[in-house]
Formats: sequence, structure tokens, C-alpha cells
Amino acid sequence: MSEKVRLENVSKSFGKVSVLHDVSFSVKDGTLLTILGASGGGKTTLLRLIAGFDAVDSGSINMNGREVSSESMSLPPEKRNVGFVPQDSALFPHLSVSKNIAYGLSHLKSGARDVKVLELLDLIGMGDQRDSLPDTLSGGQRQRVAIARALAPNPDVILLDEPFAALDAQLRSKLREDVRAILRAASATAILVTHDQEEALSIADQVAILRDGTVAQIGSPRSIYSQPVDVSLAKFLGDAVVIPGVVTAGKVSTQLGDLIPSVAQPEGTKGQVAIRPENLYLQPDPKGLAVVTGRQFFGHDALVEVKTAAGPVKARTSGPISPEVGMPVTVWVRGSVNFYPAD
Amino acid sequence: MVAFGVFVSVLPLFYILLRTAQIGIDELLGNLLRARTWELIYNSLSLTLVVCLTAMTVGTAQAWLSFRSDLGFRRLFQIVAILPLAMPSYVLAYAWLSVRSEINGFVGSWLVLSISTTPYVFLAVSAAFNRHSGAGEEVARTLGRSQMSVARTITWPAIRSAVFGSGLLVALYTLSDFGAVSLMRYDTFTRAIYNAYRASFDRNSAAALALVLVLLTVILIRIVSRFSSLQAVKSAGQYRAMQTKLGNWKIPAYIFLVSWFAVGVLVPILSIFYWTVVGQSQSNLGEITRAFLNTISYGFVGGLTVAFVGLAVAILAVRYQSKYSIKVERLILITHALPGVVVALSFVFLVNQSVPSLYQTSALVLLAYLALFLPNAVAVLKVPISQVPTGIEEVSRTLGSSQIQTLRRVVIPAAAPGILSATAFVGLTVIKELPATLILRPTGIETLATRLWSATSVSAFSAAAPYALLLILVAGIPALFVNREIRATQNRSNLVTAVSNDVSVSEVR
Repeated sequence: MSEKVRLENVSKSFGKVSVLHDVSFSVKDGTLLTILGASGGGKTTLLRLIAGFDAVDSGSINMNGREVSSESMSLPPEKRNVGFVPQDSALFPHLSVSKNIAYGLSHLKSGARDVKVLELLDLIGMGDQRDSLPDTLSGGQRQRVAIARALAPNPDVILLDEPFAALDAQLRSKLREDVRAILRAASATAILVTHDQEEALSIADQVAILRDGTVAQIGSPRSIYSQPVDVSLAKFLGDAVVIPGVVTAGKVSTQLGDLIPSVAQPEGTKGQVAIRPENLYLQPDPKGLAVVTGRQFFGHDALVEVKTAAGPVKARTSGPISPEVGMPVTVWVRGSVNFYPAD
Repeated sequence: MVAFGVFVSVLPLFYILLRTAQIGIDELLGNLLRARTWELIYNSLSLTLVVCLTAMTVGTAQAWLSFRSDLGFRRLFQIVAILPLAMPSYVLAYAWLSVRSEINGFVGSWLVLSISTTPYVFLAVSAAFNRHSGAGEEVARTLGRSQMSVARTITWPAIRSAVFGSGLLVALYTLSDFGAVSLMRYDTFTRAIYNAYRASFDRNSAAALALVLVLLTVILIRIVSRFSSLQAVKSAGQYRAMQTKLGNWKIPAYIFLVSWFAVGVLVPILSIFYWTVVGQSQSNLGEITRAFLNTISYGFVGGLTVAFVGLAVAILAVRYQSKYSIKVERLILITHALPGVVVALSFVFLVNQSVPSLYQTSALVLLAYLALFLPNAVAVLKVPISQVPTGIEEVSRTLGSSQIQTLRRVVIPAAAPGILSATAFVGLTVIKELPATLILRPTGIETLATRLWSATSVSAFSAAAPYALLLILVAGIPALFVNREIRATQNRSNLVTAVSNDVSVSEVR
């Protein structure tokens, strides 16, 4: 698979504030990269640099092997062949659904244009609303049209800026799946920025984590979740119990017992282990040294707070059989753990 | 286009400065330091003062009674209060002269200008009441304050800047009004300038007087701009304000509101109808039709021209804001400080010196409209342009349209309804314009406004009546509706600035 987009050491400041520095990554043809980061962390700036609304201060952006932005030049957005889907969908209010989709197809003859529009209407399942005006559509429908409009001119890459943020939770997960399917069906290459981890992990082929204006880790959703490169990333992505430990006889000795490190470590190294709540197992035990102090019940599962020798920890248990508050338990750790040597 | 707009806008002021420099200081002082000048200053300022006080008192009382009291028919009174806006000041002056021609001079001007300007105070103070929720008053009452004390300590501070701000605008309006004072034969600066020009084509004394008037206006504008920045208070959410129980004061309140309505709307309208019917047999239908068609063409072409240039400036100001665009807006506003008479005379003298072939052509009339109304057009056109979300422009760019194509394909079509109402509004303002049309129109071309003015000047009331009626029907009432529509397109928080903009820029002429 060839690379569609490549960023090399991209930096951008506004005035004296450095927003992005040395951002590098690439996106392969037909894949979806999500960029996950906290609000105000430069995610939107990154998209705007790729789209061409702003120019990079240093570094370069390549698309399809062609340089579109560097220190010395910046191709205007209309010359870049990117698709853009903003948070509020930004449909042209005076144009119908099909005219919105046809907007970027003015180079085609009207016959070919109609065929393409019909194809996209079909893809987003909105053939019935082709003549509707944007203000008669629901939020989800608007986003679909915005995606079809962005896909119409066959862009090299389609950029989605928090496309589900304005929708309510239920609609969000449904639309997320639909969008994934639409992008796959169109074999589109896409970059989606979001601050929602669940969103980032569930639809991506690759996830890049943007922290303090630079890429902290990039990889498949699975590796990002199970092997965060440092403690703070482990805490950033979902809950994690972090406790100190020392490597003794190939295992990490902690107050929760001797744990197996995911990667072999030299003897005597001091550091921290990060354990996901679902890797903790609570065994009801009248002689247990730990005691349940609280419980958040979610139905299918529950998050149980336990006071242990290592301090308070949270464990995810099956909902119906989760232990009651006040119950003494023994805490076990399942599987291997990520060990981070102290500096 | 923008450069052209700016050029036309700064011409009049440029002329006055040039003229002043040419006259030389001795002659200038000779022209100014006459008893006559002091008389004009006294006349203008005393009229301005009483009109201001009247409009501020009546407008504030109207706003309070129709928004914060338990009076009946409050919605009706709210509408009635802005109806005088449908009548240009010279139409009102005609109407009252035709009721009793003894009402003229100072008293007549005071009456007519107070009626014309009170709606501006009413609008500004109503907006202040609307954004001030009234919760403060209720809390104050629970803290043991009396109604009077609450009014003084809570309500008054909330509306104070609106009252004074709009009061200053009223002063500006009064100072630059030509139609009403000239028909009432009351000598203020505008009338004196016009007469100096008419009587002797005496450029120097007209220019010297214009200079004093411009100085007075500039001082006022500076104060006004300080006040309008004070008015930018955030809107309070929807809240039903407590209504003050008027008790025994209800009857006097009704009498007050109804009699102001009678004086400001009912009597003038009835008089216009009366004279239209009385004079029906002698009215010259051909003449009326010609004036009507001329007016419509000036309104149409003038409205389109001004809106076209205004659109360019508005797009520049909203979408490409920079030091340069801010300067452009300021430059355009300069002419707004100049009364219509002064702008018109500057154009007369300027073209006579440089392009005499332009003198007494409709093209020159259009240029004057451009100088006079460009700020109004920009103010109303900025609203729809700024409401187009920038996001859709960015999307359009990624879909292969350049900046210019994006303006043409997305921004302007998306803002089209607002642009149309704004254009209509400018066209209607042009139709109501009197002094520039009067001074600059080609010989033999008459509009509704000039016909009404000349007929009234010679007390031919029945001949003037149909023109007054047509002006109200063709320009006044439509302008009220369009204005309402422009405001309705703005959301609540914008309403505040819209109303103050409205009052400050788009209507005061």
C-alpha cells in the first residue's frame, strides 16, 4: 500500500504560542487514521494545515508524493484535492442536498455529474432527500451529506474535524459505524481528529496520540490501548492503576503480588506498572486484605473501588456478580502488565 | 470598487477643507464672526436641545410604559411608537403646516423633529429594557426597597446609556435636518447654507457656514461613538420582567400615549388624507405620475448602485478584516458626519470646478447618494455577510473553488435574502432623500420629495398632499417592514447591536 499523506517535522506557532512541533506521521492508501488529543491540543490546527487553510512554519506536508506545504510554499486549499468535513457540517444553506454534493464536481459534464451524485446519495442512503434543503435535515443526515460532498471529487484524503461532536450519544455511535462503512465502501483515505478515546479506538486503522503539540504514540488501536509507551499515556487512555515495583527474578514485585512484565526487564530495575481495571480480578475472601469501598454499577459491568495495601484501586467486574461494598477480597492481576522503568 | 466608494465618500469633506484653505483665514473669520453666525448657532443649538429633551423624555416614557407597566394594549403601543419613522421629517412638517400654518418657526420645527426622533429613543431604550431582565428589580424589592427607590437605583442605571446615547443621535439628526426646518422657515445652519447658495451662489459664505456645522457634528459624533461602545451589554436570557402596577396613574398614562399618537401620527395622516381629497379635482395626474416614476427610478438605480459598492465594502470589512479594511470603514463614515445639504453643495462646487459636464446630471445625483448612504448600506449589508459561517467557505475551497469563486458561488447566494432586504432598505432611504436631490437633480426632473417641498414652500397644501401620501405609501411604510425583517434575521444577542447600529447609522438621515 502506498502512502497518501506524509507529514515531516511539521511545526506551527501562532505568535509566540507553539501549537505543533515536529509532527511526523503518514497515512496509507485506503486507511483511516484518527488523531486523538485533548481539547485545545492542536488537533484542529493540524487538520487546517493539511487542508491548506494555514501554512506550516517548518517541515513539510506531502500528498500523493507531491509536496503541498513547506516553509517556502503552501498550495491553496482548492489545489490540494482534499475533502473536508467540519464539526458543524457547514452545508451550503442555499443549495439542496444533491447540489451540495455536486458543488465540487463543476469540472464534470452534467450527465457524469448526475451519475456521481446519485451514486453518493445511494452510498449515504439519502436518495429520498436529494432535493431537501440543509435546514430540514437532522444533525446525522447533515453529516452524511457533508461526507458525500467531501468524497465527490475523489479527494486524495478526507479530513474530518470532530464530525460527531455535535450529535447526541446514541446517534453518535450509529453514525460512527455508518461513516466507517461509507469510507470503506469508497476506499477513501481519511484523517479524523477527535478528543473522544472510544471514538478514536473504535473506528481507526491507526491512532495517533497528539500530546503537547507533538505525536506521542502512533499505532493500531489495539497496541495503543494495550501498550502505551509511558505512564501518562496509560492513564490518558482509559483507567489505569499505577503502582511502584522492582524487577526481581524476572517478575515485577509489587504490593499486589509478583507480576509478569510484557517485555523482559533487567534484574533490579525500579519503576512503575500500569494495570487496566479489567485486568484486576477480585476474589471474595473473608481473610482478604483488601476491602471494597465503593461501586459504580453500569449494568453489564461495574467499576469497583477497593482499598488495598498499594492504595485505592479500581477493578472492572461483571455487573451481576460484582462484590458488595464492605466485602473483604483478595486482588489478583491477570495476564502480563506494562512496566515503565523510572528515569 | 471599494476604492471608488472611498473616493466618492471623502470628496465632500476634501472639498470643504480645500475651500476653507482657499478662502484664507481673514475672509473665513470675516464670514464667521458676524452676528448672523451667532444667531444661527443659537438657533441650531437651542432647537437641538429642546428636541433632544423632548425625544428623550417621551421616548423613555413610551418604552417604560409599553414594556414594564401593567397598562393594557402594550403591544399596540409598541408598534404605534415607531410609526412616525414612516414619515420623513419634511412630510411631517408639511402635514402640520397644512393643519395650521401658524405652527411654524421654532415651535413647528420643535414639534416635527421631536415626533421624528422620538422613535429612535424608544427603540434604544426598549432594547435596553429587553436585555435587562428585570430580575434585579425584583431582588431589590425583596430587599425592602420601594418602587421609586428601585427605579432610581436599578432601572435607571440599566437604561441610562441607551437614553443618553440615543439622545445624542437625536441631536445629530436635528443638526443635520434640512427638510423640516426649511419648510418651517426656521433659520438653522442647514437652511442658511441652502439659502446662501440659492440666493447668491455665494460659495464662500456657504462653505464657511458648512465648516461650522461640520465641526459641531464631528464633536457630536465623537461623543456618540463613546456612548455606543458603552451600550454593548450582554443580553439577559428570556425572563418575564415584573410589571409595575400603575393604579391611579393608568388614566394619565393612556392619555399621554394616545395624545402623542394623535399628534405624531393621527393628525398628520388625517390632514394628508383631507388635503388629498379636497385637492383631488385640481391634482395634475400626469405630473404626479412623472414624479412617481422619477422617484422610483432614482430609488431603484440609486439603491442598486449604493448596495453594489456597499457589498464590496461589507465583504472586505467582514471577511478580510485588516488595518486597511478598518480604515476604509472609517473613511466612509466621515461623510456620514456631513449633513445632506453640505454633501450636495460640495458636489455642486466640485464638479463645477473640475467636470462641469457632470453638473445637473442624474449621474451626479447618484454619486451624492453613494456618498450619503454608503455607510448605511455597509451597516445593513455586514449583517447577512457575517452570518455566513466561515466553515462553508473553507469547505468550498477544499472542493476546488478559489476565493473569488467561493464568494460568487457560496457567500453571496447564502446571504442573498439579507442582501436583497438591505438593497431594498437602501433604495427606500434614497427615495426619502430630500436635500441632495433638490440641489443636484437635472433641471425639470422632479421627484415626490422635491414636488412636496416646492408645493409646501408656497403653501399649496392640496397640491402637495398626493406627494406626501405617496411618499408614506411607497417609501415610509415599506421601509418599516424591511427594517423589521432585517432585524428579525438577527438572533437575540445580535439584536442589541443591531438596534443600536440601526439607530446610529442606518436610519439617521
